[in-house]
Amino acid sequence: MNIREVAAKCSKCGYCNVCPTYRIEGWESVSPRGKMQIALAFLNGDIKIDAKTVKDIFKCSVCGLCEEVCPVDLPLISFWEELRYELTKRGYAPLSVHKKLKEITYRHFNPYSGEQEKRDEWVDFEIKPAKTLYFAGCTASFKLQNLAKATANALSKLGIEFTVAGRNEYCCGSPFLRTGQRDIFEKLFEKNFRYWEKAGIERIITSCPGCYRTLSLDYPKIAEEKGYEFNIEVVHTVSILEREGKFEKIEKVKGTYHDPCHLGRHMGMYDEPRNVIRKLGIDFVEMERVREHSLCCGAGGGLRSQFKEISFEIGRQRVLEAMETGAEYLITCCPFCEYHLSKSAEKLGNKIKVVDLVEIAEKLISL
Amino acid sequence: MDSLKMELPHSVKRYDFHPIQRILYSQDLLKISPFLRRFIKYPLCIVQPENDEEVISILEMSRRLKIPIVPRGAATSAYGGATTLKNCIVVDFTRMNRFELKDGSVVAESGVVWLDLEKELNKAGYALRVYPTSAPASTVGGWIAQGGYGIGSLKYGDIKKNIEWIEVADFDGVKRVKGEDLKYYVGLFGTTGLVLRACLKLRENRKLSNYAVKCSFEEALDLTDGAYHASYMNKSLGNMIGCGDADVLLLTFEEPPSDLSYFDEVLGSKIWDNRFNLLKAARNADIIFTEAILPYESASEFYSKMANFAVKVIFTTDCVVFLGVLPLRGYYRTVMKAVKFIKVAEKYGGRVYSTGMLFPHKNIVGGEIKEYKKAVDPENLLNPGKAVQGNVISRLIRLAEMVP
Repeated sequence: MNIREVAAKCSKCGYCNVCPTYRIEGWESVSPRGKMQIALAFLNGDIKIDAKTVKDIFKCSVCGLCEEVCPVDLPLISFWEELRYELTKRGYAPLSVHKKLKEITYRHFNPYSGEQEKRDEWVDFEIKPAKTLYFAGCTASFKLQNLAKATANALSKLGIEFTVAGRNEYCCGSPFLRTGQRDIFEKLFEKNFRYWEKAGIERIITSCPGCYRTLSLDYPKIAEEKGYEFNIEVVHTVSILEREGKFEKIEKVKGTYHDPCHLGRHMGMYDEPRNVIRKLGIDFVEMERVREHSLCCGAGGGLRSQFKEISFEIGRQRVLEAMETGAEYLITCCPFCEYHLSKSAEKLGNKIKVVDLVEIAEKLISL
Repeated sequence: MDSLKMELPHSVKRYDFHPIQRILYSQDLLKISPFLRRFIKYPLCIVQPENDEEVISILEMSRRLKIPIVPRGAATSAYGGATTLKNCIVVDFTRMNRFELKDGSVVAESGVVWLDLEKELNKAGYALRVYPTSAPASTVGGWIAQGGYGIGSLKYGDIKKNIEWIEVADFDGVKRVKGEDLKYYVGLFGTTGLVLRACLKLRENRKLSNYAVKCSFEEALDLTDGAYHASYMNKSLGNMIGCGDADVLLLTFEEPPSDLSYFDEVLGSKIWDNRFNLLKAARNADIIFTEAILPYESASEFYSKMANFAVKVIFTTDCVVFLGVLPLRGYYRTVMKAVKFIKVAEKYGGRVYSTGMLFPHKNIVGGEIKEYKKAVDPENLLNPGKAVQGNVISRLIRLAEMVP
């Protein structure tokens, strides 16, 4: 992508000012439109940028809402990632916390400082070789192990033979690709891919939309760049549940659904989770901003790690929007959204319970 | 700038002197060539007032330090109204964005985004009578400052006709303006005072029905009766924005007509859903806009003369607004085409749509208003070089207009 050409095409219409970060910060330098102008002037050599401006550019969860509303159809998700990479190459980035996370991941292969030997601590079954791999991802492996367990149980109940890589599973690299740190991303790709090749993996199932996007969109690209053949099918758990799941119904449970950006805007998966929710008999009610126009949870793109206040303000807004529906459950399909929205709900007095769809669905699968 | 740096923190919460921010706030939607950019001066700082008191403090500082003020909404106008021609204070109103529904009308602060307002009103059973085609981004104060027509103008007229009153701030304080006196503020780009809030007339939120009719422009003129909104798009523009490949009229009704036999509801909904998306025309090529207002009597003749342009037309209560979309093929060549569009409109009794930085010489603004400007802003500190007085760029446009 030629980011200069993309920036030059920006019409400055300002429709992208729906950006959740801009709405909080309020300055043009944080708006997608403003960032495009900065990028253009910077790449043209017309201006010099300082640390404050670089920080403003990184105030973004790469949620993709700007791309959705852009009348000129600019590929903004890729643009932000490329711009961040360019800033990294030129020595303006990574930002301090993003850099620290990289250093942690170089040591532990995950950004949570979890010990790699304990990555499969959640596994309570015998791991057998199979051509289908369940890729739990870092958040489910170290922070939300119930989700990893629920996914594995769901797959077993559906009769799917699968294996897990355990300590041979490494961070997919998504947090680093999103923050312009391609060096470590490439290393993580190599480690994961080498193992999958060796283990003869043909299909990967993941319940993390960040991993799902990275493995299905970004891995094939980097594989091609490196001259590898990437013939692995990547699926998100929710599509398996939708396709193959038969469920007992629960009654008198009112729930709403939060579209994770990486599953929705990045991958176009909106109907599958809603179909599963309906199959479960949940009294389903939509929030005001849904599907393509959904509000981000605030955690992605390195925003939570580097800019906690902005991230939690977006999380607060999303939880409030969910609470307005009168739902008891805020259902999502992403461990990172679940983790962040739970913390945001906690700050609002836990008036709504945040759950992952897989965790509910797994309990209701008809055998 | 030093005095400002010393004083601003005492009276305004949100301000920024950062050089990059100053560059960003020196521009708006208007495309300016690298040559003309040399006439743009960066603002000294940007302030984002959150209440009337802060606006008053800024005005007081402006007068005392003799620093001009350029008010700014979402900067979505292509007339350069928010472009800064002098070292100035940019007053960005986007943080004054509260509104209150009261007795069938709404009082909205200057920085409220039109589409946000419409969505909230709809929840309460109301709807805006008119709103601009840039509603997803543009602000209440911004559109009032520019003036003009939009969605709903066929039934309800221009923005001025849909204002109960506005509150404006100038060097003497805050005043409420209504009725005839609105002419001293609407469409004047903040040159006579800064719009703080507006009380807007509303309509009941009835479900609108949209229909498309493929027809000639002359036929379109006869079909708009009874509609809430009507716009016409020629084939060239339809192709550019992905809305069909024929000349087509969009009719939007509050009460659908009884005979719908020749109306296309699917295409109508598609065009309506794209009512804010004229910039889709810029997907494949950079574009610039040109606009003119024509009386109904000569609209047809003008349209036939402009057959080579990609054109959108909005029908209103008292005139027809023509918007030409020009693919940018050489900046000055395209600008000359845009100027020609307006010159031809003038030949047919029309006029330029708005003034801003580009067309203050067009004398849309009468002598009475110029006198008023002198009275309320004797030192010419409110958005200088716009609407009521020329500037270096408008003088160059004037020269371009002399080219046969």
